[in-house]
Amino acid sequence: MISLQDVSFHYKRGKWVFQELNLEIRRNLITFIVGPNGGGKTTLGKLMAGILKPQTGMVLIDNLNTKEVPLAELGAKVGYLFQEPERQIFANTVREEIGFVLDLREVPPAESKAKVDQALAQFQLTHLAALSPLKLSRGEKQRLVIAAIMVNQPQFFILDEPTTGLDQERKAILSGVIEGLQQQGIGMAIISHDQSFVQRHAQQLITVAKGEIVDVANPNT
Amino acid sequence: MWQTPTLDPRTKLLIVLCLSSLAVLIKNVYILLLVLVLTLAAVKLTGGEIWHVFSKLKRFISIFLAVIILQSVFTNEGQAIVQVMQVKLITDVGLLRGLQTILRFFIVIAAAVLMTTANPRDIIQGLIQWKVPYELAFMVTIAIRFLPLLQEEATDTLTALQLRGVNLKQIPILKRLRTYSYLLMPLLTSVLMKSRDLSVAMEMRAFRAYPQRTSLRELQFSGIDYLAMALSMLIFLLLLVAALGFN
Repeated sequence: MISLQDVSFHYKRGKWVFQELNLEIRRNLITFIVGPNGGGKTTLGKLMAGILKPQTGMVLIDNLNTKEVPLAELGAKVGYLFQEPERQIFANTVREEIGFVLDLREVPPAESKAKVDQALAQFQLTHLAALSPLKLSRGEKQRLVIAAIMVNQPQFFILDEPTTGLDQERKAILSGVIEGLQQQGIGMAIISHDQSFVQRHAQQLITVAKGEIVDVANPNT
Repeated sequence: MWQTPTLDPRTKLLIVLCLSSLAVLIKNVYILLLVLVLTLAAVKLTGGEIWHVFSKLKRFISIFLAVIILQSVFTNEGQAIVQVMQVKLITDVGLLRGLQTILRFFIVIAAAVLMTTANPRDIIQGLIQWKVPYELAFMVTIAIRFLPLLQEEATDTLTALQLRGVNLKQIPILKRLRTYSYLLMPLLTSVLMKSRDLSVAMEMRAFRAYPQRTSLRELQFSGIDYLAMALSMLIFLLLLVAALGFN
């Protein structure tokens, strides 16, 4: 569970984005965060992932306080997909992209290869394994980033506007990926403007506007 | 009540040029200290934030200490302050040279902060009126415009890498170097993609379609600009002569 307790946050030399915010994101539901631009959705997502730290209050990811735990350790609990997947693609080939973190962590080569092969198959990237990630379409890049994060076996996933720039076919593939992740027991918080996507998947719907949670609903449960 | 004078960006460029040149040309520590005080005064008078200078310098403290020690170790002249057997580790001349280097560094950074008080568009207009080719001036604008964006991207990239479970502090040095190369990949990609998109957008807006460009806004020197420029030149010459006298 991700729990925000009396969280107040502002950017450096900026106004308060959130004040004394309380919220709980449960693992068994797909949570959508919706609301107008500039309302604080991405900031909320980054607070939930531990990327941003609140000035007061605390964010707990499975009882780990994000202020006290290094980001690398939080990465084992929560994955974050940025709006622009290019910002989190690091390696020269699709296979290396999924496996380089395992190599850095000195996972035995046989185990690393097995995990990479499994991730490639799960996210329909096997036929692209030898390609440069730069040659992939936007949807493929997103799946690659999700696959690369999944080898860490996080318990939560936060996705920031994952449907931006995807056509209906790619959106359907992404829907399959999201349903697959839920079947694996991974909790998800998805920031989105895409009404049809929200309607299809949302089990908890949080509406954020002007730094406040204006509504919490449970549409598909 | 004191009102911050609105100086022409060309005047600010000249002030920065004078102060930076003094930092490079002068060796005397006392005069360098005076130049630093003058630079900070210029930052304050032009509406810059002095705390911003110090916040920038804070992160270089370890480098400054390393510079003082290295300068001392590699300078064998002067009285030994720390000596091991016959080897002079730290000498008074070495310390003085380290101090010189740091003061120069302070002055150059403070002078750069002075330029942040000018509107980037006005700086470009100033350069154009100084007959710098428009293409070069435009490149400077683009660099200024994209710098914060690149900084944001670099932060996001580092965050994304850490969220993959990579703790840079715990990785052995050789592997850490390899990890840094991974950080460069998304940044380079982003720069190349942005430059490609920007060049297309520029072509679409007829960039360089005509050899002569006109500007809607022309910069004009005012009395305070002439006064500031004259004062800067005078101080530059006086301090240079004083420094030659000390040598």
